[in-house]
Amino acid sequence: MSAHQHPHEEQDFLFKYVFSQDHKMISKQFLITGFIMGFIGLSMSTLFRLQLGFPGESFWIIDFLLGSWAENGVMLPDKYLALVTMHGTIMVFFLLTAGLSGTFSNLLIPLQIGARDMASGFLNMLSYWFFFVSSVIMLISLGVEGGAASAGWTIYPPLSALPQSIPGSGLGMTLWLVSMAIFIASSLLGSLNYIVTILNLRTKGMTMTRLPLTIWSFLITAIVGVISFPVLLAAALLLVFDRSFGTSFYLSDIYIGGQVLEHSGGSPILFEHLFWFLGHPEVYIVLLPALGITSEIVSTMSRKPIFGYRAMITSMLAIGFLSAIVWGHHMFVTGMNPFLGAVFTFTTLLIAIPSAVKVFNYITTLWKGNIKFSPAMLFSIGLVSTFISGGLTGLILGDSALDINVHDTYFVVGHFHIVMGLSGIFGMIAGVYHWFPKLFGRMLNNKLGNLHFWITIVSSYGIFFPMHFLGLAGVPRRYYTNSEFPLFDNLLDINTLITWFAILAFAGQLIFFFNFVYSALRGPKAPQNPWKANSLEWTTGVKHIHGNWPGEIPAVYRWPYDYSKVNENGDYVTGEDFIPQIVPLGEGELDGGGH
Amino acid sequence: MIALVAIVAVLLVIATAVQILKIAELRATESGKEIYEISAKQSKAQAFLLMVFLVAYFGFFAWQVWKWGGLMLPVSASEHGVGIDKLMNITLWFIIPVFIITHIFLFWFSYKYSFSETRKALFFSHSNKLEMFWTIIPSIALTVLILVGLSNWNKIMTPVASEQEHILIEVYGQQFSWTARYAGKDGKLGRASVEYIEGVNALGIDVSDENAKDDKIVKGEFHLPVGVPVQFVFRSQDVLHSAYMPHFRAQMNCVPGLKTQFNFIPTITTEEMKKITNNENFEYILLCNKICGAAHYNMQMDIIVESKEDFEKWLAEQKEFSAE
Amino acid sequence: MTTISLDNTKYKAEIRQKTAKPLLWIGLISIVMFFAGLTSALIVSKSNSIWIKLEVPSMFFVSTLIILFSSLTYQLSLSFTKNNQLKFATITTILTFVLGISFTVTQFYAWQQLYESGIFWAGEQSNPSGSYFYALTALHLLHLFAGLISLLVVVTKSILKKYSPTNVLGIQLSLTYWHFLTALWVYLFFFLKFIA
Ligand code: HEM
Ligand SMILES: [Cu+2]
Ligand SMILES: [Cu+2]
Repeated sequence: MSAHQHPHEEQDFLFKYVFSQDHKMISKQFLITGFIMGFIGLSMSTLFRLQLGFPGESFWIIDFLLGSWAENGVMLPDKYLALVTMHGTIMVFFLLTAGLSGTFSNLLIPLQIGARDMASGFLNMLSYWFFFVSSVIMLISLGVEGGAASAGWTIYPPLSALPQSIPGSGLGMTLWLVSMAIFIASSLLGSLNYIVTILNLRTKGMTMTRLPLTIWSFLITAIVGVISFPVLLAAALLLVFDRSFGTSFYLSDIYIGGQVLEHSGGSPILFEHLFWFLGHPEVYIVLLPALGITSEIVSTMSRKPIFGYRAMITSMLAIGFLSAIVWGHHMFVTGMNPFLGAVFTFTTLLIAIPSAVKVFNYITTLWKGNIKFSPAMLFSIGLVSTFISGGLTGLILGDSALDINVHDTYFVVGHFHIVMGLSGIFGMIAGVYHWFPKLFGRMLNNKLGNLHFWITIVSSYGIFFPMHFLGLAGVPRRYYTNSEFPLFDNLLDINTLITWFAILAFAGQLIFFFNFVYSALRGPKAPQNPWKANSLEWTTGVKHIHGNWPGEIPAVYRWPYDYSKVNENGDYVTGEDFIPQIVPLGEGELDGGGH
Repeated sequence: MIALVAIVAVLLVIATAVQILKIAELRATESGKEIYEISAKQSKAQAFLLMVFLVAYFGFFAWQVWKWGGLMLPVSASEHGVGIDKLMNITLWFIIPVFIITHIFLFWFSYKYSFSETRKALFFSHSNKLEMFWTIIPSIALTVLILVGLSNWNKIMTPVASEQEHILIEVYGQQFSWTARYAGKDGKLGRASVEYIEGVNALGIDVSDENAKDDKIVKGEFHLPVGVPVQFVFRSQDVLHSAYMPHFRAQMNCVPGLKTQFNFIPTITTEEMKKITNNENFEYILLCNKICGAAHYNMQMDIIVESKEDFEKWLAEQKEFSAE
Repeated sequence: MTTISLDNTKYKAEIRQKTAKPLLWIGLISIVMFFAGLTSALIVSKSNSIWIKLEVPSMFFVSTLIILFSSLTYQLSLSFTKNNQLKFATITTILTFVLGISFTVTQFYAWQQLYESGIFWAGEQSNPSGSYFYALTALHLLHLFAGLISLLVVVTKSILKKYSPTNVLGIQLSLTYWHFLTALWVYLFFFLKFIA
């Protein structure tokens, strides 16, 4: 291909790299911005783990990095809360929502369904730039007077509404809200595009039941996003009104700072309802893409069709649907009507069924496979493990009677980090290892990848498994230190151990960042289809071109999971253990594994 | 010091990474192979490590239970808490085997079916029977958990009937302390509202209300009689708090503008618990479990459970409310 | 080998034909969820004991009539364009725009009515029920401004004779959005009248 065939190559730098409307470039922009935010969030957690593991001890690194947020090398209590809040916000929204969905939905949707680009490149570009601006505002809020938002990532009023109650609820909180409003706009624009592209721009032959599970997961994620994010926007807006204009949607009967506030008639519980109507689906907005990504990887690397393709889709649909009617499990001890609590317990435990189906299907996919352990595959196995380990403790938290005693303790912190944090991260990292050749045209180093995996999984369980024990000993979350309670004195060892693992985890990620940067620039050149995979993205060239396929978009004749398909004689149908989607069905050959 | 060790560790890790990368590249170019190709041998090595990890993971789990099991909350000191603990055990007896079995399958299959040049993977795309099976089994197990859970829940959340003998206590949260108010002889709490908050009257009690006259307000610690139902009412002065009494398996949020409730029957006195836990200094405790500001981590009140006689004696010594 | 340039206007137009309407529809779903969130918030707040039931200001009736009528004129404008009666189309579009402005004016009058009857948006004497009245209608109006901008575009283009019986996508999109605003208003109106 010579240069004149794609006129965009001469395009000036600004439009190629900055205001690009090409989905592949936007995907890289999302990935890199997400990783930068993720690195900041990770560093914050390492810093506040230092405080928890060695309470009151002085660290020059804390003095150096936190400046006025620390005194003599010890962070201040309210700034501890600011760090926790920013850590949670960044990890959940910036890394695992925008970073994960933004990267892989953008990269894979057009490539895997056979489209030249997203439905609207312009909206797609806006989506990224909104995300960028909201990231910048969130970071700026770290430096303002009073410090960043400190009311927890759930920003429950009145704490988040009243600067008198904590300094971070001043300008820091305002910026948090502005940033999130822009973030929501970004997320909605992205979701619109994903849905419409998947529904309208599939290539010839790409029926819904021939879509890779990645695409199904992105579709369901986007739908869940479109339904739940606007409600968060509504919640945030009412909070803005209460904060800035003196309305009383969430506030009532408050005496603070020596005076009675004028607000009356509102209820903080209302905010919790609105927040969790997004908040819980948000967990699945993080999880579903990760599950979709690993479905693809597990099948490809096991050289076997994903087991129960249709059951996988049905489970994801069920999870997506149920996720919208379980939010009350975060509110069992807010004094909600006990009958309502019972209903929410019921719907919550129901989600366990499709989740279990997914796990069993993953495991059966491995059975009698021929498994190649690339780093992506290792992380995918890791994801199945974290999904089980974290999902099971969800049965405890979802049970209203049991939740009474573990609600808001470290048990919860352990649970959601494993099931959402680790699963989300593992899925995202697995995706990066697997599709790095598509993203950058080069290969990541496997040895470093393996090392990265082993350090990550060991340290992550080392961090989060012991937290369950802290929770069962009654330690509340969002505590600056546990040393004020004689009851918790002998738990200090656990906290110290966790902190050491946190430092190890941090170091492990540096290997990854190093591998990432080095390989993106200097790694070995990727072949067109390094994993011998079936899906459509591997039929495009290694070098990115505008429009993805130089000629006609190829038509599709089969589902993407024809791995190790044999004929009656036990020989591979095409002589190889994989049959790309663009290969027409043979005579009498059944599609979709014979569904 | 620790920061220094940490930084050295981090630098070492990076140095190792660079070395590995260099060696890997050298070896690959020597053997003429592509560096990213995964051989059967490499797959086997990773598969073996996965098995090692499985054992280590289970070992870590067992080690934690052995090492820290004794640090968990002691037996429940309330009547309903025994039910919660039982339910917790049932749930754990379900969860832990599932955890172990699924992990064994996951890692064992990974190990057993790791890549070999000679083997063909089985083209096995679905099986309605299997899928039905593992939809139905969890459904049944979950139904049991839901039923047991909800019967407990409904019992716990039902307030004490007013004609039953009980004690009424209001627990009041504010940044950053707790106050308890006993209803007094009349068994009724006096009216209260933010408008009346002034000086020592931090709870905003309406002095003109008859019911308020005999209310008793305590700080620092509050007492409960063993074996008598205690009906709690919770209020907050400023932001959300959560009254968490872990030993009694009790927790309820304190919401400004709203009254919430919880009740339980204490069953073990503080003295008895000291013996059970083998800890001379043991105290029951009320702590705040909802982020409420800078000193959220230090918002506590001791609870003392004692015989009914001792309790009544203590209560009689407490001053009745007055706004001066 | 042919190369597909995405700047190819024909290709671009084709994609737009295919995806513009679905994009709009899904956008509308998110706006529906936004207002569903707000109105269910109102229902939750209503259970509070100090909730005050309010009367809908009479000006809202006028608003309702105006916006219903504007939907009708805008629909007419589309039919005119399709029948190649472009002059009538321009007139009806301009009429729609004027009606949209009048709707806005009636909203401000309605707020004044509310204010004069002692219902405040915020502050000491305010009550959430009053605040909801202002918030819901103002947020609707905010969305209506987007509709007015799209109308302005359609008006300009139609004066410049950019539309033809086969080229009406722009009008259709704007029209769908405008109908949606009408429906949303009617919903809010009945909601405020009977539920709040
Ligand atoms: C090595 C990595 C990480 C470490 C050491 C870590 C550590 C922690 C700890 C100790 C807390 C609780 C602090 C407290 O309650 O006082 C916390 C909170 C949180 N973390 Fe992480 N975390 C890590 C990664 C992640 C990831 C990947 C996510 C993505 C979901 C995440 C999301 C959150 C959230 C949402 C909170 C709650 C924040 C809040 O309470 O407002 N974390 N983290
Ligand atoms: Cu949830
Ligand atoms: Cu508190």
